[in-house]
Amino acid sequence: MRAVLRWEFADLRAHRGQAALMVLVTAVITVSLILANALLQNAGNPWQRTFGQSNGAHLWLHVRPGVDTAPLARLDGVAAVAGPYRTAPSTLVRSAEKVPLELRAVGPALPKVSRPLMRSGRWLDPSVSNGVVLESSFARSMWAAAGDSVTVRGLDGATHTMRVLGVADTADQGAYPNWTPGLGWVLPSTLGRIEPDPSHTAQTVGLRLRDPATTDFTAQQAVTALGSDQVTMVSTWQQVRSSMNLDNRLLGLLLAVFGLVALLAAALAVAGAAGSRVLAQVRDIAMLKAVGFTPAQLVRMFLYEHSALAVVGIVLGTAAASGIGPLLPSPLGEAMTFWQAQPDHLGALLATGVGAVLTIALATALPAWRAGRVPAVPTVRADRPVRRMSLLARLALLLRLPPALVLGARDAFYRPLRAGLTIARLAIPMLMITVALGSWATLDGFRDHPERVGLAATLTAKPSGIDAASASRLLSRQAGVAAAYPGVELQALVPGQTTTITVRGLGTVARPYPFALAEGRGIQDTDEAVAGQGALDQMHVKVGQWVRVMTGGTPRILHIVGRSIEPDHNGEMLSVGMEALEGPVGLPQPQYYALVLRPGASPSGVRAGLLAASHNQLDVQLTTNPADQLGAVRGVVIGLVVVLALIGLAELVTATGSGLRDHIRDLAVLRAMGLTPRQVTAVIVTSTSLLTTVAVLAGTAVGVLVSDRLINLQGHASGVGAGIAQMPPLGTLLLAGTIAVVVAACVSVVPAARATRARVTTALSQF
Amino acid sequence: MSRPGPSPASTAPEQAMLQVKDLVKAYRADGATSWAVRHVDLRVDRGEFVAIMGPSGAGKSTLLHLLGGLDRPDSGQIWLDGRRVDDLPESRWAVLRRRSIGFVFQFSNLVSNMTAADNVELPALLAGTPPRQARERREELLTELGLEHKARSTPAALSGGEQQRVALARALINEPSLLLADEPTGSLDSRNTRDVLRLLSRCHERGQTILLVTHDARVASTADRVISLFDGEIADDSAVSLPANGGGTVADVVQLKG
Ligand SMILES: Nc1ncnc2c1ncn2[C@@H]1O[C@H](COP(=O)(O)OP(=O)(O)OP(=O)(O)O)[C@@H](O)[C@H]1O
Ligand SMILES: [Mg+2]
Repeated sequence: MRAVLRWEFADLRAHRGQAALMVLVTAVITVSLILANALLQNAGNPWQRTFGQSNGAHLWLHVRPGVDTAPLARLDGVAAVAGPYRTAPSTLVRSAEKVPLELRAVGPALPKVSRPLMRSGRWLDPSVSNGVVLESSFARSMWAAAGDSVTVRGLDGATHTMRVLGVADTADQGAYPNWTPGLGWVLPSTLGRIEPDPSHTAQTVGLRLRDPATTDFTAQQAVTALGSDQVTMVSTWQQVRSSMNLDNRLLGLLLAVFGLVALLAAALAVAGAAGSRVLAQVRDIAMLKAVGFTPAQLVRMFLYEHSALAVVGIVLGTAAASGIGPLLPSPLGEAMTFWQAQPDHLGALLATGVGAVLTIALATALPAWRAGRVPAVPTVRADRPVRRMSLLARLALLLRLPPALVLGARDAFYRPLRAGLTIARLAIPMLMITVALGSWATLDGFRDHPERVGLAATLTAKPSGIDAASASRLLSRQAGVAAAYPGVELQALVPGQTTTITVRGLGTVARPYPFALAEGRGIQDTDEAVAGQGALDQMHVKVGQWVRVMTGGTPRILHIVGRSIEPDHNGEMLSVGMEALEGPVGLPQPQYYALVLRPGASPSGVRAGLLAASHNQLDVQLTTNPADQLGAVRGVVIGLVVVLALIGLAELVTATGSGLRDHIRDLAVLRAMGLTPRQVTAVIVTSTSLLTTVAVLAGTAVGVLVSDRLINLQGHASGVGAGIAQMPPLGTLLLAGTIAVVVAACVSVVPAARATRARVTTALSQF
Repeated sequence: MSRPGPSPASTAPEQAMLQVKDLVKAYRADGATSWAVRHVDLRVDRGEFVAIMGPSGAGKSTLLHLLGGLDRPDSGQIWLDGRRVDDLPESRWAVLRRRSIGFVFQFSNLVSNMTAADNVELPALLAGTPPRQARERREELLTELGLEHKARSTPAALSGGEQQRVALARALINEPSLLLADEPTGSLDSRNTRDVLRLLSRCHERGQTILLVTHDARVASTADRVISLFDGEIADDSAVSLPANGGGTVADVVQLKG
């Protein structure tokens, strides 16, 4: 296929600029995809960051005391060994609760392999003999911070008061409470005091491997080397990772949608660029057909050429991202560094590259097919009938605007189909940016107005050891508490359903809890209930219907009068007033109180006050806000907006280029007619800016609608329920739109100036 | 003395290089239909050199495009070298053009991003000629047309006449059995026209069949036969060198010449 190659080279040489732009765009998109991926992995995968920073061990073995673990270091593929550390089981005693805690004896120097990463406080210190450093997820769950005292009970029943010296992250085990027991580091001497009997202790060894893929194999070898009866437990990095990763359907859905959106936008950009090149070469293609190229050959030629450019761009992009990525400033560079340390990062890189090449090949398919369909007779473009001046142009004329503006307006909409296509292509990235901004605004809504998403109560207080009356007295006295709603949760059977549903009595009919109602009204009677979307779906009912549920043997008939937004428990929650749950022995005892705070009250201050006032007989917890978990999405949203902006830029460059080619001859005529070069440039800039403005308006309008739909759809699917979507703030949208138009104007200045410099005669003889 | 279509459809058109029956092509633009080619019957024998003349808009280019398979007729049949070709798919037409038809367009003839040399060599390479041979053949052709020093130029740097000559070289590089040339001498001065005609007559001597559209009576006079197209129809088909004279008497002259 020498002829094909000859043409490809000639074509690439002739269109160096366009080819370079194509490569550049592909490279930039690849870099963005890789960076977004890294950010996402980093944010959505806390294990990876922790593992990388702590120089973690891939494999952990719990071994009986007294076993020689030295053979482990000699195993094939083991790069380094952490420990062996002596460990002892214990319980952390907290009010009425006993929580299992494993104590691990480590020296005063931080270990090299699997080094705990201090989040706050300091590491163990020989001068503090009762010091303990707690694993961070465990500490958070226990409300323990550096400086606190905790009570630890050994197996022998003796209790020890210990000082929390610090809180540290580790990738040795998963997050509490997914992974129990909790982990605390102590000095060997401390361990000896809490567990004097060595036979009750165990050993823990961590193995850092050269190749993480050999984990399973090495685990088998390790067990064989020590004797299977000597090893009590084996855990791998995969187990730790899966337990630490976010398990959030909302997050998963958001990310999946975003990923697809970015790729789609990229494909559109490439298809646009390829398409405009085919258009530019219609006459050459006709000529090639005349000398005997078959349509199939032409299709392949275009497909190969663009795929080759894409491959070059992707390779360059991948190289750039891998090489420069880690050197970038903090969030990006950090994410890249950790991502690269991740064992399966090469696979992800390859998948990204192959996926991008395939997407681009697919996107080029249509323009390539069009190239095959170009008629073999070279069409000398017939002068089309002069259309009536567009409304805009007439308006401009009416307002006595400068001729360049009038001509630019006319020029923009001269070919309505082409103008429509350009607008559509520019509108799509804008639409997607609006959707991204909508997601951002929704997250803001979760954080700033938790009461609107069913999170009116900031704290929950659980009485442990005091009766309800004194608890509610304490709560009513506490400064900062605006209201305390008694709550009780029961499992209820729904006749005809196999599963149970949670019925929650919260607030009273007289003083109802401020549910975030998306539909219907609030509870006003004892036989009325509001349900989350998940509960409605589960029971196959709608707001307004009656349901029969069995709680504790008592059948109840409830009228569902509203739908509340329920961010927890997949929305599978049926809420009633406390009175509705009255049984033969009267009203149920409240299990907890949902505390709505006064505006400006500090949750931790209120909590501390309550703990002190109740002498720790109230267990006060902060309500989890999904926005905290969804914080990872923010990074992705930013990344996505950047990628989309770049794609929009690429579209803009293509659009300007093809628009210019479309009427380079007209421009020559204009100049021949006596327009100054500056006026000619103004014509082009006006035309591009007008098209962009229309595209921005259309994209934003549709984007607002789509974003609302999409987010509510996600809300519905996750059981939270529709009604959580927030519109991006008008100011943000205005800013984004203005930036788009200004950039469009700037981008079109360069080719416009070039076109203006072109010799009139050359331009005319081109046709 | 105009000649009707050479033979009834039943006749096997074996020795004819090209045979056309009842060819029709209409363009529909802005609601109106313009008949570019109407009911044309034509037979061109192997080795014949035919000139097509006629006023502007008579349908000469359209006819040539149809014969080269670049455009599809609305109705009618075309035989090429005894083979029915009007119903061939586009890819088969492409292969046919690659091997046995050379085409010179009336306007804009060259692939704009390739040098003159590359343009000429392209069909040869496409047909599988080794690159060296293609290059030699190209040098030969360009020299013959007085363009050896323009081989490295791009089409944009060539004058209209130079472009036409390069296009002719490109059409001839595979030594096609049929050459369809649409005004190859349209923008040439007399010296260059002579070069082109010399090349064409050499092709003619070699036995290649040539269909040439021209407005130039002197060019037409070098042909064996002149067809006059008027308003899409063959108005005159005679073996005369000067169609303006009309009449059948000159046929003898040409026969004498032949
Ligand atoms: N693509 C087209 N669309 C519509 N009409 C066309 C098209 N091509 C040709 N025609 C019309 O068909 C008729 C024949 O055109 P054609 O190009 O064959 O003429 P021609 O004899 O080659 O003229 P000239 O000597 O000027 O080259 C003309 O009336 C022309 O307007
Ligand atoms: Mg013509």
